[in-house]
Amino acid sequence: MSVFVKIEKGKYIDSLETLYASSVLAEQNGIVSGYVGVGTHAFLDTVRSSGLDSPDLDSVTGNDLVIIAESTNQAAFDAAARAVFASFQSETSAQAEESFVSIKAAVQKHPEINLCSVSVPGEYAYGEVKKALNAGLHCVVFSNNVPLEQEREMKLLAREKGLLCMGPDCGVANINGAALVLSSINNRGPFGIVGASGTGIQHVAAILHEAGTGVSQTIGTGGNDCKDAVGGIMMLMGIDALEADPETKYIALISRKPGDTVLPKLLERIKTCRKPVVALFMGCDRKAIEASGAIYASSLDDCAIQCLKLIGVDYPLTTEEELTALAAEEVKKYAPEQKYLRGLYTGGTYMDEAANAMIPRIGTIYSNCPIRSDWKLEDSYVSRENACVDYGEEEFTLGRPHPAIDPGIRKPAILKEAMDPEVAVIILDFILTPPGHMDPTGFVIDDIKMAQQMAEAEGRHITFIASVLGTTADFQDKHKQERQLREAGVIVCQTNYRAAVLASEIIRQIKEG
Amino acid sequence: MDCEKILNLFRSELITVNVGPKLLATSLEMQGYKAYQVEWKPMAGGDKEMQEILDLLGGVD
Repeated sequence: MSVFVKIEKGKYIDSLETLYASSVLAEQNGIVSGYVGVGTHAFLDTVRSSGLDSPDLDSVTGNDLVIIAESTNQAAFDAAARAVFASFQSETSAQAEESFVSIKAAVQKHPEINLCSVSVPGEYAYGEVKKALNAGLHCVVFSNNVPLEQEREMKLLAREKGLLCMGPDCGVANINGAALVLSSINNRGPFGIVGASGTGIQHVAAILHEAGTGVSQTIGTGGNDCKDAVGGIMMLMGIDALEADPETKYIALISRKPGDTVLPKLLERIKTCRKPVVALFMGCDRKAIEASGAIYASSLDDCAIQCLKLIGVDYPLTTEEELTALAAEEVKKYAPEQKYLRGLYTGGTYMDEAANAMIPRIGTIYSNCPIRSDWKLEDSYVSRENACVDYGEEEFTLGRPHPAIDPGIRKPAILKEAMDPEVAVIILDFILTPPGHMDPTGFVIDDIKMAQQMAEAEGRHITFIASVLGTTADFQDKHKQERQLREAGVIVCQTNYRAAVLASEIIRQIKEG
Repeated sequence: MDCEKILNLFRSELITVNVGPKLLATSLEMQGYKAYQVEWKPMAGGDKEMQEILDLLGGVD
């Protein structure tokens, strides 16, 4: 086993392409581990910290493409490198209609451009966003790892110019019907959402869509906007904009607990808002929120339900009693040694929501990203007892795309967990978005079926429980995805929270005997 | 706050310039929205010191 390197001088490819390429490399015969990337300091650090190194790396620059891998032999590495280059060629077939060397050049040729989508590495985001704002463009910024002082500066500049700066770290926003970055496609409707949680916006908007209504605009602020260091600048601007927007009749606000100096500002602003506001500020005091005149929402599901109440739509979600009864049916099917659940998540917000729903029923939930620090899995690849793993965490995504785009990261875990004789329940979440995998449930359906067959052959039964975040307007079609799962014997819950309640209720009932 | 520019955006056809992975521009086109791509590269070949100098000079953009 040796380390092999291929360097292409002067070939820069964008970050997502390199992530795809790393996935392609990892799947080739004879490759033990490897990376594809441009030779930035960050990339070289990643490579070296994974134990791969070569003197050839000393001379590479940020404009050179590097393929490095531990491989069984040179021939296998060469074949893998050819496969990587072939993947670039197929990628470039999906090009935008016209390309430019800079934002300025694009705007000069097309002055009608009104939005700039920025997803360059975090260290470069500030510079690009400033250029875009100075060119008079609204921005959606997917780049992450941007220092908070830079985030504040770009948002202050945006405010001075009266422009939106959605993000950094904004993965979800729907403007004029377009699903930006990793959003779902939603029906238009009377609800405007401002959210510091991408999954939160997507979740609430998807339920509104499913209930037959929709969103006017959804403004993602990025997860740090409501921290004291940033000051809630975009959340406040979003409220102003949606209040002034004639298409928006109701406003929903979603955030983890805002900072101590930001929360009072938000509550003061809500007080003077002329439109009804539903506020989900996780972990905040209900009375304080209601005193501002907002309608209090206790969870993502509740936020959508409270919105729907405003237009007189009753959207029944499965009750906890119904889930308890369903659990009682499942409990009859297991072998005596089966007693644990395993949650395999692609969304971090969803894993947190699920773990919080499970803990009151079954206690400790081990995780790579646990609710309590002493519940941390020693090895993210090795589950124990009741465990939930977030496959969007760094140890899985370093050098690969997020699992919403590349579900291959999570796939092997399905069979692995099912082979553990103590496992009774496996939970899967699926997230739909235009740039995402075109058939994320179809991608794992054979693994689910094989897992069930293997378990049955050994006298066990595995309950698969899933939820699908997305809409019928998404290219993947939420209902089609759910149907595929049901046809494979998976219990599909309406929402992530409900999937977690059902799974943990099964485990609780097993424990009670 | 004066929201006129934001309301203008809401009233206009959305036309995006994408700086980053092409997949995101393609995704907008698949939805029927116009998107133009910037073939972005780190300035000065990713050399941070050189980039700081370029920034001081007003950048190459």
